[in-house]
Amino acid sequence: MDQPRVDPDRELVKRTQSGDAGAFDELVIKYTPRLYGLVYNMTSNHEDTNDLLQDIFAKAYRAIRGFRGKSSFYTWVHSIAVNMTLNFLKKRGRRFQLSLDDVDASIQNDKEFLQSTATSSPVREADLSELQRRLNEAMMKLSDEHRAVVTMFHIQGMPHAEISKILRVSEGTVRSRLFYANRQLQNYLDEFRKNPVS
Amino acid sequence: MDEFDDNEIARLLRLKRYEQPPPGYFENFLHEFHRRQRDEMLRQPLWRICLERAHSFMLRLDTRSLASYPAAVAAVLVCAAVVSLKIYQQPETAHVALQSPPVLSAPATAEGEWSLSSPVATQIFRTQPVRSFNGSAQTHRAAAPPRYVLDSVPVSYEPTFRF
Repeated sequence: MDQPRVDPDRELVKRTQSGDAGAFDELVIKYTPRLYGLVYNMTSNHEDTNDLLQDIFAKAYRAIRGFRGKSSFYTWVHSIAVNMTLNFLKKRGRRFQLSLDDVDASIQNDKEFLQSTATSSPVREADLSELQRRLNEAMMKLSDEHRAVVTMFHIQGMPHAEISKILRVSEGTVRSRLFYANRQLQNYLDEFRKNPVS
Repeated sequence: MDEFDDNEIARLLRLKRYEQPPPGYFENFLHEFHRRQRDEMLRQPLWRICLERAHSFMLRLDTRSLASYPAAVAAVLVCAAVVSLKIYQQPETAHVALQSPPVLSAPATAEGEWSLSSPVATQIFRTQPVRSFNGSAQTHRAAAPPRYVLDSVPVSYEPTFRF
């Protein structure tokens, strides 16, 4: 039998609502890394991500008095982040700003990363950094909505139900977007495998 | 397997979890957040700052019921408006209702026998007629008693004359 989940942030939210700014600081510290990953993989730009994250937390702070706890704070703040990022991407248009190479330079020295890539045959065959670059390019070719779903499901590891709550769409829509995005990514990366120098 | 399948793509995408911002970014983020909040606050007008401070103070006092005071004030204003409208309309009706009975009984009494009727009604009848007379009508019917009975019916209910 399913029991209603208690929001682990409820106490911090209550304290923030009663004017304790320190409680909100704790929420910021807790959720910055996760939200950074979400926004960064949707924008692919560090400066944009930083500005957006600041705006997201500022908006959350202003709006937290109206937060009634119908969803968890985690879902609520992710909804704000996704909506603000999608709005930002619409305004920014389709211009390409890949600054991922600057950020993930250290990734190839990451022990966990090396372990996880050791068994993958296509990854082993291709130059890893080139594959990463191609993957990032492929991600940027997806529509904003598809990229949001891919980011939340594959990168952030969220379940379909959580994504559907955040995006306010049905779980079926989430699954179909995910299926379509996977096909597109697959096509882009297969092209790269067939023509590695292009 | 030569082609990327779903699992392969999922594994590649999961690797992006390890992409991190420059070192020290998360430590500085909160300071940057506070600095931006202060800047934003300084750009706000003074009255808004005072309002927010007052609101925070009220919430800290745990007087949450006061948080809905705009709705309460609006409700009180609406009630006051409705009540004042009622009060404003009521005297018209009461005036007619109170004055009608003595008017109806007035022609039956003689000029010198006023002591039997109520003094208040008598005074009203003597000094102030309920309806003002049309001057021309008064000349044509100088001898006829005033038709006060008709005045108990509001003018707006009288049928229009047709010729």
